[in-house]
Amino acid sequence: MAERELNCLGEACPVPLIKAQKEMESMAVGDVLVLHIDHSCAMKNIPDWAREAGHAVEIEEIDDGEWDIIIEKTKVG
Amino acid sequence: MNIEKKKENLWDSIFKKEWSYSKGAVIISFFAIALVIVTGKAWGVTGPYSIWGGKVLSWLGVNVDSWRAFNGSVGKYVFANSQPSLTNLGIVLGALLSVLLAASFKFKKIKNGKQVGAAILGGLLMGIGARITPGCNIGAFFSGLPAFSLAGWVFMVSIFLGAAVGSKMLKNWFM
Repeated sequence: MAERELNCLGEACPVPLIKAQKEMESMAVGDVLVLHIDHSCAMKNIPDWAREAGHAVEIEEIDDGEWDIIIEKTKVG
Repeated sequence: MNIEKKKENLWDSIFKKEWSYSKGAVIISFFAIALVIVTGKAWGVTGPYSIWGGKVLSWLGVNVDSWRAFNGSVGKYVFANSQPSLTNLGIVLGALLSVLLAASFKFKKIKNGKQVGAAILGGLLMGIGARITPGCNIGAFFSGLPAFSLAGWVFMVSIFLGAAVGSKMLKNWFM
């Protein structure tokens, strides 16, 4: 169970989403991706996509206007 | 990973959590209708931008009011009498208020030069598009559809085509 990290601070939609999707492709089931974001839209569209795709998602508030999205890959593809 | 779930209070559910699309749609529609009733004019955004551009050129000594596109409207422009200028100011102040209430105000850093390039190119394309339509996704689309404007429907189809091309550009050139 590997853990990966993506720093998307300062990036606006849809860049964090596209990066997350790309990263998830190369991950194995059980791996965890931690995304650092400071764009509030990414807090909606990334979890929306990940839950739709069947993965487990948690959001953690790190600071004012800064969040970590934690995605656990639970499904292949 | 086990993250403890915080219990949601009323403040968080109103000001911090994203509202649903349907809730947003109802509230925006309500205020858009109220705006038409109060000011007699449908909601628009980009109109004043061209006037502001004209103002800057006129300060530099260019006689923009002789241009057919402006036809005297730059000289006559008064910020406080311009409905879309006031609503634009409201958008900025409202956005600021909403991030402050959500305690998520943050100065964001520019990540790299590519981001600057994408912003400038995107802004230019949107600006040109909004002037030849004329109007943006608010003036031409949102306010156009309920007024049975054919241009609004053309705009709706075009926005998907434009978004597809824009995403390709973003993916291939700026990521």
